[in-house]
Amino acid sequence: MVMICVVCLIFSTGFAEDKVGKNGTVTISGAWAIYPTAVAWAEAFQRLNPKVKIDVSAGGAGKGVADAIAGLVDIGMVSRDPDPAEIGKGIVPVYILHDAVYPVVSDKNPCLKELMKKGIKRQDFIDMYITGNLTNWDKIFGGSANKPIHVYTRSDSCGAAASWAAYLGKKQEDLRGVGIYGDPGLLEAVKRDLMAIGYNNFSYVFTRDGNVLQGVKIVPIDSNENGSADPDEVFEQRDRAVKAIEAGRYPATRKNYFFTKGKPQGLVRDFIVFCLGEEGTRIVDQVGTSLPLPKAERQKVLKSLE
Amino acid sequence: MTWRGFKDAVSAKVMFLFASFILSLAFLMAVGLYWRARPILAIRPLKTLLFSAVWHPLKGEFGLASFISGTLWVTVIAMVIAVPLSILTAIYLSEYSHRRVRELLKPVIDLLAGISPVIYGVWGIIAIVPLVRDYLMPFLSERFAFFPFLSDNYTGYSALTGGIVLAVMVLPIIISIVEEVMRTIPFEMREASQALGATKWQTIKHTVIKKALPGIVAAVILGLSRAFGETMAVLMVAGCDLHGFPKGIFDTAYPLPALIANTYGEMMSIPLYDAAILLAAFMLLVVTTSFNMLAWGILLRIEQKGL
Repeated sequence: MVMICVVCLIFSTGFAEDKVGKNGTVTISGAWAIYPTAVAWAEAFQRLNPKVKIDVSAGGAGKGVADAIAGLVDIGMVSRDPDPAEIGKGIVPVYILHDAVYPVVSDKNPCLKELMKKGIKRQDFIDMYITGNLTNWDKIFGGSANKPIHVYTRSDSCGAAASWAAYLGKKQEDLRGVGIYGDPGLLEAVKRDLMAIGYNNFSYVFTRDGNVLQGVKIVPIDSNENGSADPDEVFEQRDRAVKAIEAGRYPATRKNYFFTKGKPQGLVRDFIVFCLGEEGTRIVDQVGTSLPLPKAERQKVLKSLE
Repeated sequence: MTWRGFKDAVSAKVMFLFASFILSLAFLMAVGLYWRARPILAIRPLKTLLFSAVWHPLKGEFGLASFISGTLWVTVIAMVIAVPLSILTAIYLSEYSHRRVRELLKPVIDLLAGISPVIYGVWGIIAIVPLVRDYLMPFLSERFAFFPFLSDNYTGYSALTGGIVLAVMVLPIIISIVEEVMRTIPFEMREASQALGATKWQTIKHTVIKKALPGIVAAVILGLSRAFGETMAVLMVAGCDLHGFPKGIFDTAYPLPALIANTYGEMMSIPLYDAAILLAAFMLLVVTTSFNMLAWGILLRIEQKGL
């Protein structure tokens, strides 16, 4: 009996009635990172269109993709880049949000002064995280005391690790380091370990009032490789970081997607257009866990939907 | 048939149906996992899957060896700590302690068994990780610079940390079973032993433990299978490093259940990746189920034959 009910439910969401005139159901599942924003979008969209019902559930990016491929949901939320195998199954990724990861160290790191002055180059990060050749803070900053680097990474597969790896030109499975579960866990580990280096999502590093969380510092990435951390490479405030991301100056960003099976149509398309519109953008800022796409980028995505 | 008789017959059938459904669940799960793991078994020999330590699913390398050894390290450490502690505690509770002490302690021990694994994990991060990092690791690795103590992982997230947390989790299981088993041993046997001039400890050693041995073994196996399959608490403290093959107690360990929990939700849409993880799940199910069956078999025999 229960089984029959479940089956009925699944089918009833599939055969949403007349989709013209904005009535029907859109089902969404997938990544935790997008979930809060998607819920806010769904609420706003339902307020505008009282006859529409939008069901959002979380469960991980992989679940979102699997559900979208199986046709169980209309939209899968995915916080990493699509795998070729997924595209092969008819998935169309729609670039919907973006986000950034920041390398962090403890604010009691013995090299903190040097670190904030010079920053760290991409090659040094590669040597810490990929090859494992760089094991000492002194090697970067020329000290002579023995200060080993404790490299921390995420143990759970997640967008943050995927995009950190992508910045270093690799995949999450290539990252070395002690694996910690979850964003908060990693932040805590770095906070408690003077020699630590880790990385965190944008939404975890900055507090509500716009400062970096107590106990950690964002490592300046020396993107122009001039051997010093220039003012636009040091981030102590949320709005400065947002500006750098939007101007495309910050290198370690990641894309979040809506996956649909085939090109989005009807109500699903209407919803995506709403998310990428002015109101949708305002909601992203209000929720604060991800960042809206820059205007030019949004227009490009909208054009591809037509 | 009367209406009453009809109701009786139907309800018996329905209950039988439910019971057999529950019983077949484990079997269905095993079949399902095996079915979904077949794609990976079809293209890679089982030997490479089990004994290769290279895990690069996106490059087509699916070696589970470092996860299997991670599981073994953590489980062995947990058992080495938990078994003597819990057996001695059980002996104290059943043989030495005053009735009131026992009545006070037993609920506390049962309470320990009921705490959610996440809480053990958090406790591990707050208490055990710093303990290992600041005291145990420097102390042991300097004084005993040989096999299981050598490591270059100074973070405190290690196989030992996972083992300690697990040990605390399996303690209550082993204690309560061993204590129950010991208390089923007839009091007359102790009296007979003591009447022959044996001291209390001699009585325990030669009579009680000897008699309770199968039960103790079963309790240890049950604790073992709990430790083997425990996920959340270990995952939070063992320092799951994908590239570290554990060679000592202070190295990071990445147990199988942690691998499944960490990757399945994100990667289940990538064809061979999900098959490899489901193979890990299948192995875990087979191992824990056979451990459990062995333990219950022993306990059942004790019940039937009496001690």
